[in-house]
Amino acid sequence: MSTQNPDPLADLPWPKPEAPGDAVSAKICGACTKNLCAKRGLSAVSRLSLCLFVSGLVASYAYWFGVRHHRSELGLRMGVYGAVVWGLVQAAVLYVGFAPRRGLLGSRSVRVAVAVVLPVLFLGYLSYAAWSYVPFDQFSHGARASHAFSCGLIALLFGAIVGGSVLLAWRGTNPVTPRLSGTLAGFVGGVGGALAVGIGCPSHEAWHLWTAHGLIVLALGLLGFGVGRRLLSP
Amino acid sequence: MERYIDGEAEAFELLYRRVSPNLMGYLLRLTRNRERAEDLLQITFSKVHRARGSFLRGAPVLPWILAIARRSFLDERRSAQVRTEDLSPDGSLPEQQNDDRPLPAELSDALDVALGRLPENYREAIVLTKITGLSVAEAASVLGATETAVKLRVHRGYTQLRKELEQYSRTS
Repeated sequence: MSTQNPDPLADLPWPKPEAPGDAVSAKICGACTKNLCAKRGLSAVSRLSLCLFVSGLVASYAYWFGVRHHRSELGLRMGVYGAVVWGLVQAAVLYVGFAPRRGLLGSRSVRVAVAVVLPVLFLGYLSYAAWSYVPFDQFSHGARASHAFSCGLIALLFGAIVGGSVLLAWRGTNPVTPRLSGTLAGFVGGVGGALAVGIGCPSHEAWHLWTAHGLIVLALGLLGFGVGRRLLSP
Repeated sequence: MERYIDGEAEAFELLYRRVSPNLMGYLLRLTRNRERAEDLLQITFSKVHRARGSFLRGAPVLPWILAIARRSFLDERRSAQVRTEDLSPDGSLPEQQNDDRPLPAELSDALDVALGRLPENYREAIVLTKITGLSVAEAASVLGATETAVKLRVHRGYTQLRKELEQYSRTS
């Protein structure tokens, strides 16, 4: 259908909007105006800045932790560079996924594409950042496994802080696609958590990065999908 | 909306008078039941009231409220699906009745019935663009679909409506 075409059913007597019953109207007006006070929310820019601030705060803590535990300067520097570049990606994802343009959220298909591309890209980045590789049976038990487990827990905690800040900052703003936005919030949180752990963690082994740092992104994405409707829908 | 957010009660009443007929019409066509539509209207406005702080200033109000109404409808329907159903006296589940009655003689009534027989996604797209008066972009934002998808739904809905109404023109 093109907008230039004449409307084929324009001459029909389309139903007129209907007013609700007086009793219902009185009830609604009574409930919504009782003790009414100003309730100013944050602007989209403030919400976005708040999310990036929390992400930066978590990364700074991880940097301080790395310095305190005498992590190599090169490792710290690489971790910070990664965090800065991915911080820009996080900002872009938050802008596309949450901030409305002219009052309306961006295209759903673009946000779906971002939700697919972001974790794939991040896992690709982790693979690129891996300097060493041990077979899975050597990785899956002993000191390597326990290090991966503790790293994964810390990444999960950091990711939950970042993802939680995104969900809380944009709470109640998306009545249309809250699950999709929740998934994006989870991915942003997961990336934030994994990068923060990447600054403080000395391991560059591939299995360690994929499981302890990378899987967190997917896990938090799933969690965001689960809680998105409850938190992001008004 | 902005004056309402700032705490002016009169502004809410003005907003309610402007928005509620469109919202009620939309909910009536979604639920096809006046009582349910009025319940959902109350739920929608209570959500709007709670979430007024998260409304982004300058955004169009009606699509935002319609999107909340639609989400409330979907949530209500989801919870109704898991609710227990009363069995009929012979112990079986009640069957859905197909609405294959002839269309009413009055054209406006016939149109209303024909609209009610459309698949839900076609009906929603037509109600939002034709009756509520939203632009295709606004309807797409309410439905969480692309503009192309909304245009397609409206077109298919029109085609189906035309077929239904042919029966009306033959009988009248």
